[in-house]
Order: sequence, then structure tokens, then C-alpha cells
Amino acid sequence: MKIFLIIFSIIFSFSTIQASEVSEWFEKESNQFLEIINNNEGTESENYEKYKDFVNKNFAVKSIAYGLIGESIINKSSKNELTIYLNVFTDYLITTIYKLANSSTSSSITLRDVDVKDNIYIIKSEIIDKKTSANLYWKVIDTGSSFKIIDVIVENTSYFVTKKSEFNKILRKNRGSLEALIKEIQKI
Amino acid sequence: MKKHLKVILLLIFVTFLHTINTYANEDASVSGIYYDEIYDPIEPINRAVLNFNFFIDDIAIRPIVKTYKFIAPEPVEKGVSNFFSNLKEPIRTISFIFQGEFSKSFNSLGRFTINSFTSLGTFDVASRLGMEKNETDLGITLAKGGVSSGPYIVIPIIGPSNLRDFSGDVIEYFVDPISNNVPNREYIAIGSGLNERVEIDEQLDKVREASSDRYEMIKSIYYQNINAQLEEEYIQNLPVPKIYIE
Repeated sequence: MKIFLIIFSIIFSFSTIQASEVSEWFEKESNQFLEIINNNEGTESENYEKYKDFVNKNFAVKSIAYGLIGESIINKSSKNELTIYLNVFTDYLITTIYKLANSSTSSSITLRDVDVKDNIYIIKSEIIDKKTSANLYWKVIDTGSSFKIIDVIVENTSYFVTKKSEFNKILRKNRGSLEALIKEIQKI
Repeated sequence: MKKHLKVILLLIFVTFLHTINTYANEDASVSGIYYDEIYDPIEPINRAVLNFNFFIDDIAIRPIVKTYKFIAPEPVEKGVSNFFSNLKEPIRTISFIFQGEFSKSFNSLGRFTINSFTSLGTFDVASRLGMEKNETDLGITLAKGGVSSGPYIVIPIIGPSNLRDFSGDVIEYFVDPISNNVPNREYIAIGSGLNERVEIDEQLDKVREASSDRYEMIKSIYYQNINAQLEEEYIQNLPVPKIYIE
């Protein structure tokens, strides 16, 4: 019984430390994100570079990119094709976030709760601008050296799930051709 | 006779849906999350209807919505939104009864009573008293009762739906105690529809500019929102990328 209690308290304190670490990371990075959104100074390309740095630092881009096309496409594609796809997808992700963030002026992101499931942190936050507020969930993994975002869910809409259905459709339409998907992504 | 007709129509719809449930080419789980392969046998027609809807939206609805949003002060916009949402509380009350969610049903009834008497529904006084709004409709009720979604359909002017949810909407039209007891119910239906369009205006603008395939994007978002109302741990259960080394 005693041993059980000790093990339980070790596990509990370990997960509490991890949750506080991820909360700290989130507070820091969300504030930086707000700074970028609300910064109207600088040229368009300078602002774009800031988004690029933010995405590369905080998003698990490769995990998202590969997760969107799935294992069978990865296995049948050449290394060169995958590299091109990863580069194109990274630009696409940055552009999407840049466009979405540019059209809104957010005044605050408040952390509400942190939950852990299957080693994935689910951070619940609320984004509030002048007019409305929305629930914003972040799915985050611990890579050992840092935390990385693998999905963002606005209210009930997941970025990963939405893009996966779009990409799947393009791949199905083009008999699994990664080249065709790359061309479609480049159009945006 | 009119009342009998409503009951017969309702029975026909439910029977039809159960038939569809038997033959639908999809997973048998009712509340399971389907994302990769949403049952969409009439996709070419749906795509044409969606294009038509965007065309109508561009030339007629969007300009009205943009003008309204520009002219109406924020409290007015909020008040109108609250008014139409309040009109749906009675049907939510009925839906929750059929779902066996009696406390939520009572909550909806209480919200309707408080908000109607204090402000004709234009202010959400009930929320301030701790009676939060719970979304539901007869489509969700049918889903919880075991009816499968059936094929995805895009309805002219109205937008994305599926056979189950569309049938739920049709049944609502007949059994809704509010719209059945007011004169000129068509105006309320049009007003409510326009209000819903106002509420999704910003999201729709984002769909226009950030999508490689807006049809797939809208379909996915529609199903995610439905599943969020059906799944207890929806956010936790959403699929995530398999982790690769960065």
C-alpha cells in the first residue's frame, strides 16, 4: 500500500511539473504571437519573416506535413519529392497563419486548462478580440528539447482534420500523386 | 386532419431514415468520427449546388450581410442574434426531452421564459443567471437515437447538411411550437437564416481565401461541428499526426 502511494505521488508530481512547464511555454509563446499579430510596423515581408520564425520554432511542421499525406504516400514517394513537399507545405502553413492572423486583431489569449492524453498536451485557451471570443485548443507534444504544436482547434474545427480531408481528396483524385498535391498547394 | 398529416409525415421520415441507416455505406457507429471518407455519393451535384450557393451569396446575400454588419451597431447585431436564438429554445426543450436530457430541457425552457419576459429574447439574461445555452436540434436527437447521418447533401441557398439533419430540420418546421403559432412564419425563417449567415460571415471569408478545395473544407467543418455535439470527449479524440522525428 505504502509503495503504491509513493509511486502514485511520484507520477502525480511528475505530471504536475510537466503541465506547469507546458503552461509556462504556452504563456510565453502566445504572448509573442500576439505581439506579432498586433505589430503594424514593418513591411509586409518583415512581418512575414516573423511569422515564419514563429511557425518554424513552435510547430511540428514535419509531423503535420507527413501526417496529412499518410504513410502509404510517404513510402512510395522519393526523398526528393518529400523534401519538396515539406518545403512547399511549410510555406503554405506560414501563409495560412499569416493570412488568418492578419485579418484579425486579437487583444488577448488566456490559458484556461491543460490536459494530457497519450503524451499529447491539450491546452485549452480563449482568444478574445474587440468583438468576440472563441475557444482555442492547442495539441502539443514534448520533443525532449522543446514543445511543438501538432494541431490547432478553433471552437470545434481542427486544422489537421480539415486539411487532411482536403489533401486526401486531392490525392484520391490524382491517384496518390504527391506531385499533383504539391502543385495544388502551390496555387494558393 | 392537418395534425394527422404532420404525424404521418414524421413517421415516413423516421422510417425512411432507418432504411437509409441500413444501407448507408459507412461505419455503423453513430457517434464515431468519420473524416477521411464521409459518405458523399452525389458529390458532383453537391459541388454544383455549392457553386450556385456561392454565386447567389456573392451577388445577393453577401452584400446585404456586409451592409448590415457595417450599419448595425454591435449591440443591435448581438440583440438580433439573441432574439433568433431564443426562438429556438422551445425546440431545444423538446429535443432534449427526446434525448432523455431532462435537466438540459428544463434549462432551455427556463432560458426561454426568462429571456422572453425580460427582453423579448434580445438580451441573454438567463446566461448571467448561470443558465448557459446548450446547442441541440432534432438532427442531433435522431443521431443520438441511432439514426445514421446518411449521405452528405448541399441544399440550395441553405447550405451543407446530410439526410438525417435535413430531415430533422423538416420535422422541426412542423413541430416547432413557435413558428407554428406565429403569423408570417416565412419572415421568421428568412430572418433566422440571414442571422445565421451573419454569424458565419468571417469564417466564410476565411474559407474563400485559405482553402485548396472549399467544398471539402466546408464538408469537413460541418461534420466536425456535428461530431462535437455527439462526442463526449470530442477534442481529445480528434485524430492527430503520427509523430515523426522533427
